[in-house]
Amino acid sequence: MKLFKNKIFLLFLPAAIFMILPFYGFFHALTQSTGGEGLAHYEEILSSERFLSSVWFSIRTAGIATIISIILGLVFTKLFHPLLNNTFPRLMVWIPMLFPHFVWGYMVILIFSETGWMAQTLVAAGWLGDTSNFPVWTRDPEGIGIIVTYVWKEVPLVILLLFPVYASIRPEFYALVNSLGGNAWHRLTTVDLPHLLPVLVESFLIIFSFTLAAYEVPALIGTTFPEMISVLGYEWFYGSSWEDRPLAFAAMVMTSLFLLILTLIGYFGLSRRRWRAMRGDRA
Amino acid sequence: MIRKKAMFLSLTLLFFIFPLTIMLLQSISAPWRFHTGQGIDWGWQGFSLLFQNPQLWEATFTSIWIGFAVLFINITIGLFTGKALASYTSYGKPWLEALLLSPILIPSLAIAMGLHLFMIRVGLADTIWGVMLIHLVPTVPYSIKIFHNSYQQMGKAMMEQPHILGAGFWTQVFTVELPLLRPAIRSLTFLTIVISLSQYAITAIIGGGRVLTLPLVFFPFLDNANTSIMAAFSIWFALIPVFMYIIIEALMMFLPYSRLPWRNHR
Amino acid sequence: MTQTKLEMKNVTKAFNQDMILKDLTFHLEKGEIMSIVGPSGSGKTTLLRILAGLEKPTEGEIIMNGKNITKQKANRRSISLVFQQPLLFPHMTVGENITYGAKVSKKYKEEKIKALLEAIGMTRFRDHYPSEISGGQQQRTALARAMATEPEVILFDEPFSSLDPSLRQDLRYWVRDFLTARETTAVFVTHDMEEAMIMGDQIAVFEDGNFQQIGTAETLHKLPANRRVASFLGGHLILNDHEFAPLHAVQVGIQKGLGQDISFHATVEHITYQHGRPIAHLYIKDLEKKISLPINEALPKREVQIAIPSHSIKTFSGEIL
Repeated sequence: MKLFKNKIFLLFLPAAIFMILPFYGFFHALTQSTGGEGLAHYEEILSSERFLSSVWFSIRTAGIATIISIILGLVFTKLFHPLLNNTFPRLMVWIPMLFPHFVWGYMVILIFSETGWMAQTLVAAGWLGDTSNFPVWTRDPEGIGIIVTYVWKEVPLVILLLFPVYASIRPEFYALVNSLGGNAWHRLTTVDLPHLLPVLVESFLIIFSFTLAAYEVPALIGTTFPEMISVLGYEWFYGSSWEDRPLAFAAMVMTSLFLLILTLIGYFGLSRRRWRAMRGDRA
Repeated sequence: MIRKKAMFLSLTLLFFIFPLTIMLLQSISAPWRFHTGQGIDWGWQGFSLLFQNPQLWEATFTSIWIGFAVLFINITIGLFTGKALASYTSYGKPWLEALLLSPILIPSLAIAMGLHLFMIRVGLADTIWGVMLIHLVPTVPYSIKIFHNSYQQMGKAMMEQPHILGAGFWTQVFTVELPLLRPAIRSLTFLTIVISLSQYAITAIIGGGRVLTLPLVFFPFLDNANTSIMAAFSIWFALIPVFMYIIIEALMMFLPYSRLPWRNHR
Repeated sequence: MTQTKLEMKNVTKAFNQDMILKDLTFHLEKGEIMSIVGPSGSGKTTLLRILAGLEKPTEGEIIMNGKNITKQKANRRSISLVFQQPLLFPHMTVGENITYGAKVSKKYKEEKIKALLEAIGMTRFRDHYPSEISGGQQQRTALARAMATEPEVILFDEPFSSLDPSLRQDLRYWVRDFLTARETTAVFVTHDMEEAMIMGDQIAVFEDGNFQQIGTAETLHKLPANRRVASFLGGHLILNDHEFAPLHAVQVGIQKGLGQDISFHATVEHITYQHGRPIAHLYIKDLEKKISLPINEALPKREVQIAIPSHSIKTFSGEIL
């Protein structure tokens, strides 16, 4: 291979050394999850009601947050990308990116909790009898607080990822579709989607993996039951007894494997599409 | 177009400016009790109580130090790998990109837990070095992506030009590539530092609670501090990347061929 | 007295299965300017990139001043390459761009920069950024930057093709004079025969991975080596693989010519005007060829006869040099 002959190989070296870190970590987690007892720990967590409800809750919450973020981000970018060429509007949109996720989560609490700004203002305005009548949107069993925080925080990221793609679509494409008699739907499916699809798939994977397995936001704004998988894993890892540690490893390894398989499916779909596009027989 | 602009403005005001304003106002006033009919009671107690906490300053310096180290390693790895990816055109490139992106797809919690024993064995657990290393995991893939895009935009021919003129590898990096990568370095500064400041769980695992960063102070604060202090703390979190960005911007002025604002060219 | 500056010996280049260059050999004397013409996509650019050191030949060697430089990297070769696009560094001014070339090759002298700016007529624009000057000015700056490294050989890869035609004409003569005044050895790649004739002392017709013929414009027209050269030049009527007739010997008439001539039936497809004369575009059915000939008066008919005196029919020389 050409890769190993020239200096490109040397340029890849720092990244290769870095990659040892996550991969060693992952494989070590894998070996510790068996703990020399085969798949016993996996059997244990798979028969645990707590784990299973946590898995369902995590996938559902992360899935909803990711899909809403991507749709809102896509609509926003589609509508406003010409405005984003200017620095000031762009800076305004990026504001949530300046804060860590859990700080933004705290802001959601500040505004939407039962004693928060919104409840207080509604009572002061006379629209709500008492702050206790305000719906439970934070630390709620439905994960609303988690979803709100993630959507609010990830929409700017989606805009950041999609904006360069929209900026690079030449307006002639739209004119072409129009001249051939296409409508808005045709423009979306023949111009936007083919350009955006790789970025959309990648954004979905990045956001979904993050929201599924990040600890900070659910720890701040979630409840103890049902709980996100990361919170459960962290609890098992730092729990009172050392015996729960292999369970933590098993839970996190299963999450990782699930995400890796999802990534593989995503990339396989993309590379097949690209491959077909290159050969010219795009169907 | 004007309707669109108005719509854009109202949306950004409502969703991006408004929450920031709420947080700012709360940080410079006593905790609100509008429902009891009270108005706003202005004051700096939120910030002053926050700054009285000795842990805050220690954690701030630790976080900044970790942030800079993580940023510089990110720039180095991102630069080399982005350059390599931009000049590597072969089959399997999408897979290589996916592989390099994978550290942010695997949960960092799983990686940190897996690395924990290893860090203990090599003596990096409970040290700032170990925390720096683990913060690379969620950041480096983004850096590689950003630099890869920038190098691709620059184009292969632009990279060959200094080489043809006789520039060596490092001369080329400092005189042509880094100055042209400036926008990428700016985005990277914000992204890397905010991500590093966002890590509670993996910092707690690898740092063992002994490496005190800002999130490790923030979480226990939630239980006993009032909303003014918490709002002030939240603002503090956003000021740190801004402060570090200013330093990076100043450092970038030392890059060759910088257009210095106070030097008039013509 | 001439001395050989640059030599390419039996160079072959293959990408995967495709042979881009096939056993290529040529040399350049000091101060000589050679034009390489050929259809687009024929591998001319690859040839330049190998000379510059941006790509390695699969086989063969490159010799400069008698030394083998095949393994030397591009930044160590005293060869400069001017690309199709000016590729000025956007963060440097015109002056800094030119100085950059001089500094990295350790040949910096302030007087030289001034002289170069003077020569390209850009002294006034020294502190302008590339985005603030025109395309022609950018290309001139790129040339000055390449010259500032004091290369022994300078390579041009269609440097004018991104400029508009009127500007192109001016710049051609300007570059030609600039190079001759400095006795710089140069290789000039183009797909435009006219440009090749203006720029080069020698013209090399490059097609199918090798030179079909190298010679002056006159030699090429009088004695084309084979039908590829002749069809690229467009100044001949190719009769078959071995024989051709120069277009100026071809006569157009309504009646059949005399006995010793070879004649063909032709259809007039179009009349256009060039340099103030009418040009007839003819299709010769028997040869399946189209030719364009200047005519003296408008032809009354669509169907004409063309005649070629048998003494003007020549054989391809078959000699590359």
